[in-house]
Amino acid sequence: MSAEMLAMSEYGRDPRKHHFSPYADNGGTTIAIAGDDFVMVGSDTRLTNYSGILSRNQTKVFPLTEKTMIASTGCWADVLSLYKDLQAKLTLYSQEHHDEMSTPAIAQLVSTVLYWRRFFPYYVSNMVIGLDEDGSGVVYHYDPVGHMEKLRFSSAGASVAQIQPLLDNQLGALNMKDAVPPKVTKALAHQLMHDAFISAAERDVKTGDSCIIYTVTKDGVAEEQVKLRRD
Amino acid sequence: MFLTRSEYDRGVNTFSPEGRLFQVEYAIEAIKLGSTAIGIQTSDGVVLAVEKRITSPLMIPATIEKIVQIDKHIGCAVSGLVADSRTLIDHARVECANHWFVYNQDMKVESVAQAVSNLAIRFGDNDSDGPAMSRPFGVAMLFAGVDKSGAQLYHLDPSGTFLHFCAKAIGSGSEGAQQSLQEAYHKSMTLDEALKTSLSILKQVMEEKVSSTNVEVAVITKEKGFTRHPQDEVEKIISAL
Repeated sequence: MSAEMLAMSEYGRDPRKHHFSPYADNGGTTIAIAGDDFVMVGSDTRLTNYSGILSRNQTKVFPLTEKTMIASTGCWADVLSLYKDLQAKLTLYSQEHHDEMSTPAIAQLVSTVLYWRRFFPYYVSNMVIGLDEDGSGVVYHYDPVGHMEKLRFSSAGASVAQIQPLLDNQLGALNMKDAVPPKVTKALAHQLMHDAFISAAERDVKTGDSCIIYTVTKDGVAEEQVKLRRD
Repeated sequence: MFLTRSEYDRGVNTFSPEGRLFQVEYAIEAIKLGSTAIGIQTSDGVVLAVEKRITSPLMIPATIEKIVQIDKHIGCAVSGLVADSRTLIDHARVECANHWFVYNQDMKVESVAQAVSNLAIRFGDNDSDGPAMSRPFGVAMLFAGVDKSGAQLYHLDPSGTFLHFCAKAIGSGSEGAQQSLQEAYHKSMTLDEALKTSLSILKQVMEEKVSSTNVEVAVITKEKGFTRHPQDEVEKIISAL
């Protein structure tokens, strides 16, 4: 190759770095608290892109079955894609096995689906919440590549650092001497969740506008929206 | 009976003008040469009992395996070309293991039958999903297990048809055995009664004298899952017949 040709070709140019950034952080915060015969899950409704607000009224909790929901935050495109994938899998399952998938089965499926994308993960923090086969509330928390933990309460998303210590203290009675965890009633769960969202909205720009709280019981899903600060 | 079936019984995917697939019908005939297998469903569990044909006194009867475990909660009895069943059994086991991996739950007996049926009707279908069998499988299978809807017994034949039965017999003695099952079966049958009934029907239809070495018995219950019935227990039941 002549010097002239080399200069004209791609290789003759200055070295340059190409960027591919497939992920976005669209914020959002979720909280889930399980009781003996119910499970409560809430999300804030702000969707962000850096300091811009994309939506003030977008829930991050989605129904999967009559008694199971998924709460997903992170890269919004991945949230939507994962939810569609799960919906398709649930439909196929119910057609193939003539049965609605149980909450524990969905919990395992979500873990498997996330791990299938181990080397190009969905950039999503997930919680699966629902009633198990005995009718008691359960919360499953995931990391983006599918590590699963079954819990009584958890939070995920943008304000997890502000909220999780509050839940650990108030519901888990953790890190204290002789403290006993309280009995989790709907009233307690609701009050704590509301307070947690208010506090998070004060400290974190990615959380705010309002929160939607869903209560899953054997009778179905009840939904309630509460305002948060909008600045 | 088969004299009129020329020309159209060669290709496995060619219908005859009357709308029949002769190779599939011949495969179903092959089951009728197999040893008899019986399954009885009760509310406590399912009993599987099969005849083992001891063709030589020098043969070790224990090496004949016509009842196999699919998963901890499902067993399967086969009749016909037993070698053909190995592929299907392997498929059933893989499906169960995969179901556990993906959903962390026991696969339903019906779903296992469906999965095996999907493979059984892939004969002659080489391009879709890798190489398939060139002919229909020459076995019938009884899937017995316990799942969330209780004890279940499913019958699968070479056409891929699978049906839920309270009691079912397959193999050479199946006609007589099915008739006897119809007379003996009742909804409130206990597991012990089912064991006794299955062995007494085998006794009726077997050419050889029934003994604990030429039958194989397995029981599937909610508590213990798939268990082979011990030879001395089988002996006790047979001697009491």
